[in-house]
Amino acid sequence: MRLKGIMLELKDINKTYQGAVPLHVLRDVSLTIERGELVSIMGASGSGKSTLLNILGILDSYDSGEYRLDGTLVKNLTENEAADLRNRKIGFVFQSFNLISYKDALENVALPLFYQGVPRKRRNMLAMEQLEKMGLADRAHHLPGELSGGQKQRVAIARALITRPALILADEPTGALDSRTSKEVMELLRRLNSEEGMTTVIVTHDPGVGAQTNRIIRIADGHIVSK
Amino acid sequence: MTDLIREISQTVGRNKLRMALTGFAVAWGVFMLIVLLGIAQGVVNEFEDKMLGRDNYLLTIWGGQTEKVWKGLKEGRTITLEEKDLGDIGRNGSVPARAVSASIGNDTVVFSANNMTLTGGYYGASPESMYYDDINMSAGRFINNRDMQQRRRAIVIESDDARRIFGSDSAAVGKIMTGMGLAWTVTGVYAHRWRSTVYVPYSTAAALAANADEVESIDVELGGVSTKVEGREAEQAVRETLAQNHSFDPEDKNAIWVWNRFLNNLEAVEVLNILVMTMWIIGILTLLSGIVGVSNIMFVSVRERKHEIGIRRAIGARPRSILTQVVWESVAITILFGYIGIVAGTIVNGIISTMTKGMDIMRDPGVTLSTALQVTVVLVAAGAIAGLFPAIKATKVRPVEALRDE
Repeated sequence: MRLKGIMLELKDINKTYQGAVPLHVLRDVSLTIERGELVSIMGASGSGKSTLLNILGILDSYDSGEYRLDGTLVKNLTENEAADLRNRKIGFVFQSFNLISYKDALENVALPLFYQGVPRKRRNMLAMEQLEKMGLADRAHHLPGELSGGQKQRVAIARALITRPALILADEPTGALDSRTSKEVMELLRRLNSEEGMTTVIVTHDPGVGAQTNRIIRIADGHIVSK
Repeated sequence: MTDLIREISQTVGRNKLRMALTGFAVAWGVFMLIVLLGIAQGVVNEFEDKMLGRDNYLLTIWGGQTEKVWKGLKEGRTITLEEKDLGDIGRNGSVPARAVSASIGNDTVVFSANNMTLTGGYYGASPESMYYDDINMSAGRFINNRDMQQRRRAIVIESDDARRIFGSDSAAVGKIMTGMGLAWTVTGVYAHRWRSTVYVPYSTAAALAANADEVESIDVELGGVSTKVEGREAEQAVRETLAQNHSFDPEDKNAIWVWNRFLNNLEAVEVLNILVMTMWIIGILTLLSGIVGVSNIMFVSVRERKHEIGIRRAIGARPRSILTQVVWESVAITILFGYIGIVAGTIVNGIISTMTKGMDIMRDPGVTLSTALQVTVVLVAAGAIAGLFPAIKATKVRPVEALRDE
């Protein structure tokens, strides 16, 4: 179990996309998520939900405000600092799994450790442990194309967990799955949260998914409308 | 490493025709480079074999005819070299001479034995001639000091002649041949790629010469010279010594003939270097079109893998690791197809080598190990340059691409 406290904190975040007509997508967004929380961020398309996800995932920068993740101020980072923070602090779970098609399940899971410079033998061993936890040990040497949707998402979750991140950031994790598999994946995420205290943020527009989290944050027109 | 190979095979496999065409251009460029360098090497080998012996520090001087008036003396005088000149050249401090020797030849004498003849005369040699002329004995011995002291009528003949007249090299040794109405003993047989001179002791040749003081030519072995300027200065110093001895204008190029092998060789080596350099330039320019192709294909590959690069960036790849990955892929593709070109080029060089065997234009064309290494360095550099711009483009892919659905 992790210590209680604040895992991530947004303070008056603003983000405008410059263009012919500047688009102010996030307006003074403030948000706090405690360690061990299971939160969903919900909003319609165009609500600023994706931009918020990009900022939380250190995939994109913001114009003003402050973002602290696990005690680190995430602001004005170089590309390398951002890459290292993403690698160590955040485990991504994507809607379309985003596994690399020509790498087998084991190699996909081990990839984040490759970017930490962990030797091949050790990273394959750790990846195998994660796959075992997901019940996919027998699929370790299958390519993503040879796995079912649910299996692919479990491989992706194993990849997200392998660096022991502070935060799991899931973007529509069930968007590409049928209802039965969706349920399995959601159960897995819930179990990781309850049993291992993994702080989890799920971005979704699906009320069914939102209902399975402990807190729903709604966003509309770039504002947080309810926490 | 395994990851790299896997990823390259993926890149190669994604569009086989496109990759084959690009690969062909690279292989063709390298093939041309190897064949051209192979031919150049063949020419260099032939030159080195024929020209660059131990005698490449030798100045050989013959008497000529003056064509300039000098101190009241008319033009058209015949200059004949004499024994005295040897000592004067040797004593002249401005001639960097290591050794000075003279030779007396006679090109009308015919030697015969077993009703067969050797035409072409003889050459009066010292024991050192064996070294200057780069001769290897196949039977018997070369002229020695006792031959010189006793003015023996000893002759040394070439292997092909020995076989023709006596049956074999060893059978010739000790046999008697007649020439100038005198009996000569064959003391040795030598093998050389192109020489067929008959050698007799210098002292014997001098004794047989009409005027004992006259020498046909003088050999000056230069020492401690390395540049063309030094070579030219040495020649000029020799000309001045002889001009004084024989009263002619030192600038009169016809009064004496000088074969400056040292200078000739330096000039020839320069020409060969230009030849090799030209081959490199032509080869590399041919390779260039292949390299442009590789660069192009890497651009396409980066564009196709934008999503994948985004995923890698999202899960923590630094821009630099994306850069090196693309560059290494490019290098690997270039080397892979480059080596196909090297192999094909080496095979063709082998064919050229067989076809030109025995011809005087080239010898053993082909690339040496150092050339192969140089070509490899060129390939690595070319692949890296080809991959660099696509790789820089790849680093510009933003991690947000990972969230975009394909």
